[in-house]
Amino acid sequence: MQQSSYWRFVRRAMISRFAAKSWPRGPRIGFRLQKVLILAVGIALASLTAQADDAKVRLLDSSNGVKHLTTEMVREIFFMRLSSWPDGSPIHVFVLPDNHPLHIRFAKEILGVYPFQLRSAWDRLVFSGTGVSPTIVETEEEMRMRIESTPGSIGYTDKK
Amino acid sequence: MRTVNRRLRFTTAAPMIFCSALALLTPTPATAVEWLDGKVQMHGFAGQGATYTDHNQVFGTSRDVSLDFREMGLTASVKPLPNLLISAQGLYRDTGASDTQGTRLDFAQADYSVPLLDSSLVLGVRGGRVKIPFGLYNDTRDVLWTRPSVLLPQSIYFDTLALRQAMIAADGGVLYGRYTHGEHRFGWEFLAAEPQDSTGGATAFLTGIPANHPLIPKAEGSLGGRPLLLGRTFYEWMGGRGKLMFSIVDLDRDFRSTSAFYQNGNTKVTYPLFSAQYNAEKWSLTAEYGWIASDRAGYQPFLQNLPTWKSNTSENFYVQGEYRFTQDFSAVLRYDVLHLNRDDRDGRELSRLTGGAVPAHRFYARDLTAGVRWSFARNFLWAADYHYVNGTAWLNETDNPNLASPQTSSHFSLVTTMLSFRF
Repeated sequence: MQQSSYWRFVRRAMISRFAAKSWPRGPRIGFRLQKVLILAVGIALASLTAQADDAKVRLLDSSNGVKHLTTEMVREIFFMRLSSWPDGSPIHVFVLPDNHPLHIRFAKEILGVYPFQLRSAWDRLVFSGTGVSPTIVETEEEMRMRIESTPGSIGYTDKK
Repeated sequence: MRTVNRRLRFTTAAPMIFCSALALLTPTPATAVEWLDGKVQMHGFAGQGATYTDHNQVFGTSRDVSLDFREMGLTASVKPLPNLLISAQGLYRDTGASDTQGTRLDFAQADYSVPLLDSSLVLGVRGGRVKIPFGLYNDTRDVLWTRPSVLLPQSIYFDTLALRQAMIAADGGVLYGRYTHGEHRFGWEFLAAEPQDSTGGATAFLTGIPANHPLIPKAEGSLGGRPLLLGRTFYEWMGGRGKLMFSIVDLDRDFRSTSAFYQNGNTKVTYPLFSAQYNAEKWSLTAEYGWIASDRAGYQPFLQNLPTWKSNTSENFYVQGEYRFTQDFSAVLRYDVLHLNRDDRDGRELSRLTGGAVPAHRFYARDLTAGVRWSFARNFLWAADYHYVNGTAWLNETDNPNLASPQTSSHFSLVTTMLSFRF
């Protein structure tokens, strides 16, 4: 019972991960060796974030280990208007299809926008050549796998 | 003769080549084609439209249902560095007599940006053939997916008038910046570029000398002089829930005549545009208001007698509401107004100046539009609009050679629909 409400809690937050180099020493080793450990860190971060402030997402950066990304920064990233992390490494954004329930919730709850606004912004970037679109993955499982294997990537999930 | 044939053959073949390329390049219909972790991306779109009017012609012979309405594009982008983006788009477009350019290089540019102040400020520069950043829709107006309706509001985004060619893209550079602070976002762009005003009928439009008038000789020569200057600035609130924008274009072009009939001339055009949009979950409200102030000197003294030729200020605006019934199905309602001269909104005075040779309805167009959009499958969009138009100000003179005749109807209905595929 407690377990499931815990997961629901986690579900409300975004789990994100960065390039191996941007991780502080401890978790970085954990990431390399143990998937389980990294997931635990992710969950801990996500729940911390959720506890601290629903609208804020806690992320990591290379210099301090932990970096608070404000809602508007996360917005800029998912609107594809920021292409590099503060350390200069590229940002790679993964999203689920426009109609996916999790994508809709992510847009509304984390970014505070509607999915049609994201779609419209991406199309404008792509067809005016001023930006690129995020990579669309079909399932949450695929999202998790792609994020794990892509340095500097960001996305969201409601699974462990 | 031979070259003409070959050209024709190429224009007809281009869409087919394009469609085959699309089919080959799209392994799954789901997303863009991308390589190297998304550092290389390819996108594309292909739309076929149909247009019907009960009077007058829009995009070909629309009184008999015209199929002369196609837009296809292939976009490629490469990110050699995280903040460097190189992109290009090839476009094939056909809209009856209003666009006969066929396949063209829509844009080809390099964009470099630098994030500053904890990424809250981004400064950038873009150069090459760049899209003209004007108003809410100009940057991507040839892609159905980014338009609220099949036809954009014609008072501001001319599709049938020849000036459109000069409004799409230009060769030059853009400096831009964006700043985010809490729920507030600001941005600005400044463009200096050589406009494509010798393509299509843009020269005729800017010189104000009709291209195919039975009595007035065509202007021969070229436009040059100072590059086009443009500024656009916006304010966005809550991730785009509210949006305010101001754009302004300034043109100052010298015409170098190569025919004995016309002297050299100069055309100045200033086009300011105010835009506002509110986006709620189910509905959006949009409005844009602007005017085109033009001033011409030289060319030929008799031209000064043409209405709106010498010095003129127009009025252009629309209000638009969109409602999203579901994520895939939405409707749009719009009232769009063009007054060629804002001091003579019903055109009576101007018509009188011509001794009635040009009817009053040539000086205005008020268009009431209702439309639907339905994305019935992930990568397919179908849209249709009904327009009830009073006034012929934005009709194309090549598609409609007899607009000045008393038989021309000042009111007409227009139905236009388009099916588009994208990846």
